Amino acid sequence: MSELVLHPLEKTLLKALQKLGEASLEQLRDETQLDQAAVSRAVMWLYEKGLATIEEHRTKTYSLGPEGRKFALEGFPERRLVEVLGRLEEASLSKLREEMGVSEEEFSIALGWARRLGWVSIEKRDGETFAKLLTVPEISPEERVVKALAERERAEHEIDPTLRDALEKLSKRPGVIEVSEKVFRKVAITEEGRRVPPQLLEVVEEVSRLTTDLIITGKWREVKLRRYDIQRPAPVVWPGKKQPYLKFLDELRERLVALGFEEMRGPIVEYMFFNCDALYMPQDHPAREIHDIYYIKEPSMGDLSPYSEFVDRVKAAHEYGWTTGSRGWGYKFSVAEAAKLILRSQGTALSARTLINPDLKIPGKYFSIVRCFRPDVVDRTHLTEFNQVEGIVVAKDLTLKELLGILKTFAVEIAGADKVRFRPDYFPFTEPSVELAAYKEGYGWLEFGGAGIFRPELTLPLGVEVPVIAWGLGVDRLFMMKAGIDDIRQLFTRDLDWLRKAEML
Amino acid sequence: MPTIEMSFSDLERLVGASIPKDAEELDYLLSFIKAEVEEFTGDYLRVEVKDGNRPDLWTVEGIARALRGVLSVETGLREFKLSDQPPIEVFVDPALKEIRPYIACAVVYGVEIDESVLVGFIRLQDKLDLTYGRGRKRTSIGLYVADLITPPIYYKLVGPDEVSFVPLGFDEELTLRRILEEHPKGIEYGHIIKDYPKWPILMDSRGKVLSMPPIINSADLGRVTTETRNILVEVTGTNWTAVSNTLTIVATSIAERGGVIRKAVNKHPYEPREIETPQLQPNESKVTKEYVKSVVGLDLEPAQIAELLEKARYGAKAVGDEIVVQIPAYRVDIMHPVDIVEDVAIMYGYDRIEPVVPQIMTIGDISEEEKFANLVREIMIGFGFQEILTFIMSSPEIIRDKMRLPREGYIEVANPRTLRFTCLRDWITPSLIEFLSFNTHVEYPQKVFEVGYCVVPVKDSPTGARDKRVLGFAIAGDQVTFTDAKSIADGFLRLLGLSYELREIDYPSFIEGRVGKIVVGGVEAGMIGEVHPEVLNNFGIGKPVVVCEIDLGALQEVKKRSI
Repeated sequence: MSELVLHPLEKTLLKALQKLGEASLEQLRDETQLDQAAVSRAVMWLYEKGLATIEEHRTKTYSLGPEGRKFALEGFPERRLVEVLGRLEEASLSKLREEMGVSEEEFSIALGWARRLGWVSIEKRDGETFAKLLTVPEISPEERVVKALAERERAEHEIDPTLRDALEKLSKRPGVIEVSEKVFRKVAITEEGRRVPPQLLEVVEEVSRLTTDLIITGKWREVKLRRYDIQRPAPVVWPGKKQPYLKFLDELRERLVALGFEEMRGPIVEYMFFNCDALYMPQDHPAREIHDIYYIKEPSMGDLSPYSEFVDRVKAAHEYGWTTGSRGWGYKFSVAEAAKLILRSQGTALSARTLINPDLKIPGKYFSIVRCFRPDVVDRTHLTEFNQVEGIVVAKDLTLKELLGILKTFAVEIAGADKVRFRPDYFPFTEPSVELAAYKEGYGWLEFGGAGIFRPELTLPLGVEVPVIAWGLGVDRLFMMKAGIDDIRQLFTRDLDWLRKAEML
Repeated sequence: MPTIEMSFSDLERLVGASIPKDAEELDYLLSFIKAEVEEFTGDYLRVEVKDGNRPDLWTVEGIARALRGVLSVETGLREFKLSDQPPIEVFVDPALKEIRPYIACAVVYGVEIDESVLVGFIRLQDKLDLTYGRGRKRTSIGLYVADLITPPIYYKLVGPDEVSFVPLGFDEELTLRRILEEHPKGIEYGHIIKDYPKWPILMDSRGKVLSMPPIINSADLGRVTTETRNILVEVTGTNWTAVSNTLTIVATSIAERGGVIRKAVNKHPYEPREIETPQLQPNESKVTKEYVKSVVGLDLEPAQIAELLEKARYGAKAVGDEIVVQIPAYRVDIMHPVDIVEDVAIMYGYDRIEPVVPQIMTIGDISEEEKFANLVREIMIGFGFQEILTFIMSSPEIIRDKMRLPREGYIEVANPRTLRFTCLRDWITPSLIEFLSFNTHVEYPQKVFEVGYCVVPVKDSPTGARDKRVLGFAIAGDQVTFTDAKSIADGFLRLLGLSYELREIDYPSFIEGRVGKIVVGGVEAGMIGEVHPEVLNNFGIGKPVVVCEIDLGALQEVKKRSI
């Protein structure tokens, strides 16, 4: 059992209970001189600790009525009568009433009670009635009852048995006593409570908060810093933290940098040229239909003149293969179509821009993690905006073997794969093309990405004469698997509560 | 990517050898033709062909032809049986040159077809029309009952009201005009021809209508059934190569059912003039051992390369270090020797190629912009803000109306899919407020931020737009005032070593007198404000909200200048 920690209030209460054994809250209040609220609180704490029991029962409760309160304030009428009579020794009733300054009715009540109690006697002389003082007690049982009830209401059992009779009598006098039924809590000490040693109940001056004043004045030496119940729940605090999916992408970015990849950049509003044409996707390719790409309303076309050299060669490659050894797509290329402005629909647009950059490094390794846009209706598996992770490796003598080597590295380093699998695949801008699947114990096979060697019809018109390996990774599925979510919309979650509570993966 | 439905037993019969019944193993086998099992229950098999440029694989017949090679049941070029009869003549009207110039026909005799084979042909026709035919604009296909047609065939133009016939799916004769107006296919594809004064029609020598290309076949001559044994195939279109390729693919697929092909001579009064179809002559190409090595990384002997190519159904012969390759006419995807080499690698087996990690020394790095963004995010997290991620696309309702701003000055897309995403946000504050509006039931105070992109219109830029990376943050809760946001902005800029000036402005989204422009080094870099209660009402938020957004590009510029 852990060491018993008692609040000063608990100590005081428990001390009282050790003395009384059992008591009402009122008795405890009287005993400890604490206020009602403090007593109630401390009793609850003792109860929770198993040091006291609380028993509820109903009981008759007596309190003063309006007349009774008046008696408490001004005294009983019969007492006033005997006081006045005491000064006069003996007096006629009319004189006595005059002295007392009360109404006929009040006087008759006072006289009636004084006689009934045997405090005065009356006798008639000379046609007049005189009152005579007999033995009067200092305080009557009735007066004691009123006095007690004036302090506070009392339960039946709290009333001195010797006063029961007087209470009975007072109850008959109108408006003096009021009786009600009330719930009483009786507190009793438990065995465990009795066993708490007295030294534990020593109340030293305890301080809850350590203040600057206590520290610098040295007063902290004289007080005891109260022990806290450290098991008690603390208020919830929400720290600032990264969005979990973005954090995942940050880590991915770090991995790619560690593998020697440099980040590429490119604009959101892009020319059709870099998004499709420069990638050797024919202009009437089904993937370029209006359903797959967002077009800009105004301006609908951009100025391609800064890239005219590349546009001419790409046009030739599409139409007849240019000097690439290809027969081309064999259609009439439209420069106006290439100049159309769209929202970037694939990260490969950045690769095309990187390849025409005069600062392109050979050998070079590049990556991008960028937002792409497609006019899909948003549902559990589709977003109209999503992030693509992809890149290129540009170097002499790259072959399919190296392509597989790079993919295997990604699968192991990024997806933590135990096994990898390569299968032939198709992408419009690579040949050969490979699908990468990663196997992870407990997760099974996951299609993790695709890659290929850019077609010569793509690289040569962009002025690159060495092989270029292009790769893309399906990291969203990897993240969803790790985070245990199955709805892609949650990548862009609107739920602040979820974000606050999400564990840091 | 096209999916092809078939009966497994039919596939096995066409292959002529047993194929794996286990879905995993079958999937592996199909990977050699870039296809995979989508569904396999009982005898029903649905296969996805991943290569969008291989229509020769879009039928069970084509898949079987390729698998025979993979399984070495039959390798090398596929030989097709040709009829001894003279080619069918097809005459082309010179006026078609400007409208839909090309036609290619062929007849396949003696085909055994049942319901599923017929469905397969119709699906192939639909897929080719849609993809390779670019929605019938580039090419469209018609199949006819050859026995009902009396050659020669005439491809000509007629006026919309000159000719009428019963189109497929209808009981009564309609004029061409009415077909365009009333027939579902006329409504769907009418746009391809309707602006011309005369429209294409295909008739036989007796004047019977075969079809109205590229819209609809006749219900008499153009309704192929399981009773049909001799099929006439016709393709019209705007690109001769595509027309010819399509005919080759359809005719060879049908001929896989044991048919004999009779050619047609298509007499164009312009290029390509009189030309025989289907074109079954293989194209010749060459690859060298060295070239294969340079792409695949394998040092294969020419004979071995030739053998692998024969499995991929090429004709191939090793001659010294070269391999002379005959490309089947139906392989319309082969544009460059690299396409042939890929087939060498596939038939060799990707799982037999040893991956090699290239030893290329490069120094990895993230962009300057991303580095700065990371620094900014670190600072905001230090201030106790929760990072959020929102969409760059938005709607004028969110970025303007609800923010009490007039609708102007942002970039819209021409083809939105939903009203929620019709434009690009040019400021991030509406995204933050929208986010808070989804979380009014969540414990306050709420402190969120995002480092995200906005796109702003720029008149003199070649694309008319510029990306803007911004930091936006918002605080919501009882007792929250302008000062709370200012404290954070103060601290943020101080940590970046930047001093700033706060210029009072009027901005309808914010409470008057509680909004200011952040000016850093003379450049307007952002804004802080206490959100106008009407904006809060518009978004259904019941707590005060303060926001700040700062253009990180502008800050980077100023910092660069000061170095």
